[in-house]
Amino acid sequence: MTRIWPWLCAASVALSLFMLGLLLALLLTRGLGHFWPSTLEVATLDSGELIAGEAVRETALPQRDGKERLYFTANRDIDGARWRWVAIDSIASRQTPTKLLRLQRGPWGDFIGYLSAYEDGQQRLEGEAAWQALATALAAPANTRPPATLVLETADGQLIRQALADIHRAQRPNAMHPGEKLRYWAHGVWQFLSEGPRAANTGGGVWPAIFGTVLMVIVMSVIVMPFGVLAAIYLNEIAHQGRLTRLVRIGVRNLAGVPSIVYGVFGLGVFVYGIGSSVDQWFFEDTLPSPTFGTGGLLWASLTLALLTLPVVIVATEEGLARIPDSQREGAVALGATRLETLTRIVLPMAMPAMLTAVILAVARAAGEVAPLMLVGVAKLAPQMPLDGDFPYLHLERKFMHLGYHLFDTAFHGDDVQAAIPLVYATALLLVTIVLVLNLTAIFLRHYLRRQRGQPC
Amino acid sequence: MTCVLSTTFCDLSLHHAITMTQPPRLSSSAPRTLAEPRYQRPHRQRLDRLATSVITAGAFAVLAAILAIGIFLLWESLPLLAMDDMALINSLSPLAWGTLKAALAAMLFALPLALGAAVYTAMYMPARQRTRIKPLLEMMEAIPGVVIGFIAGLILAPWVERHLTVTLVLLVWLPASALVAGMLWHALHKRWRQRLPFSSAALWLIPWFALMVLLALWAAPLAEQYLLGEDLRRFLDLQLGIDYATRNAMIVGAAMGFAVIPSVYALAEDALSDVPPALLEGAQALGADRWQALWKVALPAAGPGIFSAVMIGAGRAVGETMIVLMASGNTALLSASPFEGMRSMAAAIAIEMPEAAPGSSNYHMLIFAALLLFGFTFVVNTLAETVRLRLRTRLKRMGGGA
Repeated sequence: MTRIWPWLCAASVALSLFMLGLLLALLLTRGLGHFWPSTLEVATLDSGELIAGEAVRETALPQRDGKERLYFTANRDIDGARWRWVAIDSIASRQTPTKLLRLQRGPWGDFIGYLSAYEDGQQRLEGEAAWQALATALAAPANTRPPATLVLETADGQLIRQALADIHRAQRPNAMHPGEKLRYWAHGVWQFLSEGPRAANTGGGVWPAIFGTVLMVIVMSVIVMPFGVLAAIYLNEIAHQGRLTRLVRIGVRNLAGVPSIVYGVFGLGVFVYGIGSSVDQWFFEDTLPSPTFGTGGLLWASLTLALLTLPVVIVATEEGLARIPDSQREGAVALGATRLETLTRIVLPMAMPAMLTAVILAVARAAGEVAPLMLVGVAKLAPQMPLDGDFPYLHLERKFMHLGYHLFDTAFHGDDVQAAIPLVYATALLLVTIVLVLNLTAIFLRHYLRRQRGQPC
Repeated sequence: MTCVLSTTFCDLSLHHAITMTQPPRLSSSAPRTLAEPRYQRPHRQRLDRLATSVITAGAFAVLAAILAIGIFLLWESLPLLAMDDMALINSLSPLAWGTLKAALAAMLFALPLALGAAVYTAMYMPARQRTRIKPLLEMMEAIPGVVIGFIAGLILAPWVERHLTVTLVLLVWLPASALVAGMLWHALHKRWRQRLPFSSAALWLIPWFALMVLLALWAAPLAEQYLLGEDLRRFLDLQLGIDYATRNAMIVGAAMGFAVIPSVYALAEDALSDVPPALLEGAQALGADRWQALWKVALPAAGPGIFSAVMIGAGRAVGETMIVLMASGNTALLSASPFEGMRSMAAAIAIEMPEAAPGSSNYHMLIFAALLLFGFTFVVNTLAETVRLRLRTRLKRMGGGA
């Protein structure tokens, strides 16, 4: 027995690391791979039918031997579907023509096929000239593009007309060399970070969600930091260190373990239904019954998350305060300083790093939290940003978008989840990166400062 | 005019402050030198008193907000007392069962992994490696639940449905393959054993496991064809009458277990490495091998700490919302099958609360569910924290005495 158990223990470390590595590798490859222009192919079936698309994956056929392959064929406006399963046995030949084109369009999602002509009022270009014209038109900013129309041809020969105004990007991946692909990839990543979502969240970027998350986190920090720091100072510097203080301390620590959804319920019941509707009755009576503050919004979400992160801030700040040797305080008092002067000149400057760690940890916790936000003000698609040029610039009552909720909503409530999954991967990667970077910063900050002060880590 | 008034007022209050703070004998008899302290010190002390009261007020505001959570939940659940008991029990019991089932599945997955990992890190790993591996495993805690839920619900669940045999085989084969690796290692030549020491087994077992997963992916479908003659899922459905839901307790267990591992691991590892080394060295000097020393000495000493780690893990598993919401299918069933879904209280709150009209019976019921979650986790965490703190002082005493 004494030989078996150590191996199982070693195996559990290895398995945990294995799972963690698998998860991160999956997120990295799928999240970043989505923007890489993948090869398009044209498959000729035994029946003579032509299918143009991107081969996604293969699985075994359910009933008989052999495999089938899933193609992303796009063109939802033409045949009503974006995906096509094809039995591999029934494919006669596969080619990768360099002229094959992939367009990212507004209302209908991607198009895969050929460009047959480019018309802009005065002239009609065909062949390579049409592609050149399209590329130059797309390189210009969106509002200066000419009012042109494209004539597109699908793989099986149907012709459709498409307005240039709805097109976001065009690529011919089979004709690109690796350098071009890399540039296209970098541009795709940038667009993902800087643009708004389109095509029912299956395309475009996540900029409003990033903006909403950051704004919410900032408002939350402004609320939580003063109270958290005051409470920590009280517990550590002012309160009599007796049984009661110890109880309060344990209670605060345990609040960190209370499920986040409970805070959401509290926020909904007290902030939104309680305070919010009273505020509406007093100040916004003219707009009733449509609520202003009586529904979820930025302010209530920030308050709820402030409550949620309060224990994190208190615990981290108190840890920093407790590390300051009493001799420092005694020295200050012996020189005639009052308690306030000891605090502001000696204790707080020394505890500054701890408070910085506290705010970073709180932000990391809040950025990854979704459940309470679903109750107090996050929106699937917010029509207006909570910060804009209209007075009073910061609109605390507006709903906002959040990265985590955007992920959840796109993954579970979209109309074509299959098509949205690559974007969900990218969003998940972004969220994990943000949270991990914040946590690592906190760890390194703590480590560095402890070493700087000559304390053991 | 105002100026005069304000100065006199100020003087008066200053004087008052001095007589309050100074011993009266001094201020009345001895002619004090009217130097700067007369104007500065009372001002400073007033500021000081002001700051103290601001800090106290802030702290009490925080306390009040915390208490308000409990009071609000209690107050809003009170109307349930007037409700029909049966209706309440009927609507709550599937949720309570779902919560327990999800938490149980998660703990079944997480406890062996987390505790095994804690034992290995505390007892066998060299110190240098430990300072790297431990933060890495604790970093797992930072991965947001919504990401784990997405991977579990949309990627893992369909994969497991397609490869059910492989998954079930892996659950047994991976631990077994670690033992196989151990046997092979003992049979190795000494030179090789030094090159792959047991103290770094946690690292070189990772490629071994990757190999084993590939092996299972290749062999399990063959075995399935040979033994059953058909797909295991069809076999379960047709021959045994077992339903298989894509998002089921097994998936939730794995996903939430993954989320719970780091917190259990970190606390258990802390408890084990707090055991004074003198105790272990004593046991080994008396002839125990490392595992015996661990089993007979370290585990009993750190037992309460490990108990509190398990409690904290259970508290987390009960309250986790996003993972259950995304990976469980959210069907309110009263079934014990690991292949069927469930709906937990936290997920029910997240789904139904935005639609429940304030004041309706469903609203009160959901708030009651939140109260249950709040109370449960609070009690469990308090218990765990008290046990942990008591253990820590005891171990310190032991270490100091030895």
